[in-house]
Amino acid sequence: MSKLPCALGIVALGAVALAACGDKKTEIAFARFFGACEAEYGKITDVKQARGECGIITSITNQFNATSKDGVVVKTQIVEWGPYYDQLSARIVSGDIPAVAVMHESALGDFVARNLVEPLDDGLKSIGITAEEFTDQARRGTVIGGKVYALPFDTWSWLWHINLNMMKKAELVNADGSPILPTTPEELIAHAEKFKAATGKPYLSWPTVNEFAAPYRHFVTLVAQQGATLFPPGGKTVDVRSEAARRALELIARLYGEGHVKTGADYGAANQAFLNGEAGIVVVGTWTIDDFLNQSKQAGSALANGYTVVPFPPIFGKKAVFADGHSWVLLKGGIRDDKARKAALGLLRALWDNDFEWSRTGHLPARKSVIDSAAYKELPFRVNIAEIASTAYSVPSDVSHQRAVEVAIGEEVNAMCLTKKPLADVQTAIEQRVGKLLTGAN
Amino acid sequence: MTATRRPISGGLAGRLAVLAVVLLAVMWMTPLLWIFAASFKPNDVLMVRTDGLLSPPFTLRNYQNLIGTSQLLRWLANSAIVSLGQTALVLALSSLAGYGFARTSFPGKRWVFGFVLAGLAVPEQATFIPLHRLFAGLALHNSYTALILPRLAAPFGVYLMTQYFKAIPRELEEAALLDNASRLKIFLRIVLPMSLPAQATLGIFSFLTAWNDYLWPLVSATRPDMYTLTVGLGSIQTVFAQSEGIGYLMAQAVFAGLPIFIVYLFFQKHIVAAVSGTTVG
Repeated sequence: MSKLPCALGIVALGAVALAACGDKKTEIAFARFFGACEAEYGKITDVKQARGECGIITSITNQFNATSKDGVVVKTQIVEWGPYYDQLSARIVSGDIPAVAVMHESALGDFVARNLVEPLDDGLKSIGITAEEFTDQARRGTVIGGKVYALPFDTWSWLWHINLNMMKKAELVNADGSPILPTTPEELIAHAEKFKAATGKPYLSWPTVNEFAAPYRHFVTLVAQQGATLFPPGGKTVDVRSEAARRALELIARLYGEGHVKTGADYGAANQAFLNGEAGIVVVGTWTIDDFLNQSKQAGSALANGYTVVPFPPIFGKKAVFADGHSWVLLKGGIRDDKARKAALGLLRALWDNDFEWSRTGHLPARKSVIDSAAYKELPFRVNIAEIASTAYSVPSDVSHQRAVEVAIGEEVNAMCLTKKPLADVQTAIEQRVGKLLTGAN
Repeated sequence: MTATRRPISGGLAGRLAVLAVVLLAVMWMTPLLWIFAASFKPNDVLMVRTDGLLSPPFTLRNYQNLIGTSQLLRWLANSAIVSLGQTALVLALSSLAGYGFARTSFPGKRWVFGFVLAGLAVPEQATFIPLHRLFAGLALHNSYTALILPRLAAPFGVYLMTQYFKAIPRELEEAALLDNASRLKIFLRIVLPMSLPAQATLGIFSFLTAWNDYLWPLVSATRPDMYTLTVGLGSIQTVFAQSEGIGYLMAQAVFAGLPIFIVYLFFQKHIVAAVSGTTVG
């Protein structure tokens, strides 16, 4: 036998073997946002080495693919955050449905109402996860009508990020160096005035340009802190005529009108103002903790050794703050067979097992055992914000079109601040705009 | 038809005019230069300040991260295929339709032409859902066909070519007809070469529209290997890129604009002529 036929035979056998291996592979499509960072984390499988949302989620996926024993390959399909749900809806219509998809808990209700998401009780049970392990807030966000529709991944919320150096200058710190925080609307105004007198800068910074989420979240938070809600049971109406809503709107308008809020800032500029010492407090989410902390470690920074973060203080008495969360869903029609289902559930298990690593992004863990763990409490400032897992307020899942509702209310609250739109007109406009969204009227 | 260049007259008025134009050009270019400079700055620096772009530190990290995206060349190729394919087909169809409307007569021509022009008034968004469902029904999403076909109905192109063909003297075609040339031959050999300036205008606008298109590729090309450059670059942005990833965002903008810039360098005479409504001889 000559060498050539022998070599060809080996190649052919190899090809058959490879093909056989290829058949065993189960690919599952994994749709998410959080960006792409292949150059930095494309080959990292040790999640502990990663940082930031993109780095951590990428390394979790890499780790899963590298350690999967059943030949499962997760194919990540990344979509820009803004139009994520538009594309997801388009994919569902065209039958190109991912097996596992990230979903905000505030969007879950819409997808469940449209019968597009699989209940997960049995699936999670099969991988050893029960809803009892979820934090209170995570359970509120993912259990609808008694069924679990998503695996919660985190809770993100609305925080006060504080420049302690400026607060010291304004004599708004306690003896232990912690900030003195307002507990009533009157105190809030008094603190803001004192701060401005001492520093010449506004007490607060939040985006008012090209941004509707911030004013909406302030409003929802301030109403919830009065034990009230903008969204009465049933999810078909919005209540902005209540005393609680009126007081919340008046407080926001007063803060802005009296110059206690940085003006003319979009999202990036509001954060910049805080980092440059142009405002004492920036009201923004959990996700900026890491970046702000890094800035505070730099000598010469306005924030140098003077940064802390707390939940939005209970201005109206009750501890409550707007919150939402990222979760993972299995979309109906996205899983072709039992092998793919097993693979998808395996991925959910891997995500759940890395809930602590994910909490390094700043988001609160969705897992009770993680939030109660010493490791989590050792992360910077997590002791300050952990209470949000039980004190958070999320808009009920029966309120539909929550992203559009956020825009409508945010625009009106901004109009009240920026153009001095009368309060009564703001209330009427919100009722009309949100009413249409909630009732489905055109 | 040829464009003629008149030198700017001397004297104070001329110099002031030049100065004003230069100032306007600098104003117009400032955001572009800002984008370019920011693309070489570290993200954590830009998170704090975006005004000190000309002072260190500088970094190539944003471009390294961008080029390290494995599908980047694929997205670039997809955009090139879609833009070139769409441009070629729009030119072919608009020229044929325009010639038909300009030179032939058929029953209901005015109504049909009016119907085509009415297309100019229909906003793109209004056709989105039926179009998406149509392509979903035909199982054509995630294909070049789906990315190119919907944009071939170009009322502006038909209108432009119709008007241009109408301006070409009929005598040229009549002479060819006397020589027994067929209608197709006349179109291909005589009329089409004479319409090159209009073709260039239409081609440039079609190419730029296709290259910059975002919404339709977003909902039609949902598999990452079928993303066009605009959708692909959007997908790799971090969630709060406008604050924590400005440098990376600007590197993406530079990269996305680079092919168009190169096209402009090669075809600037034609592009200027197309935009100003004149022709290049």
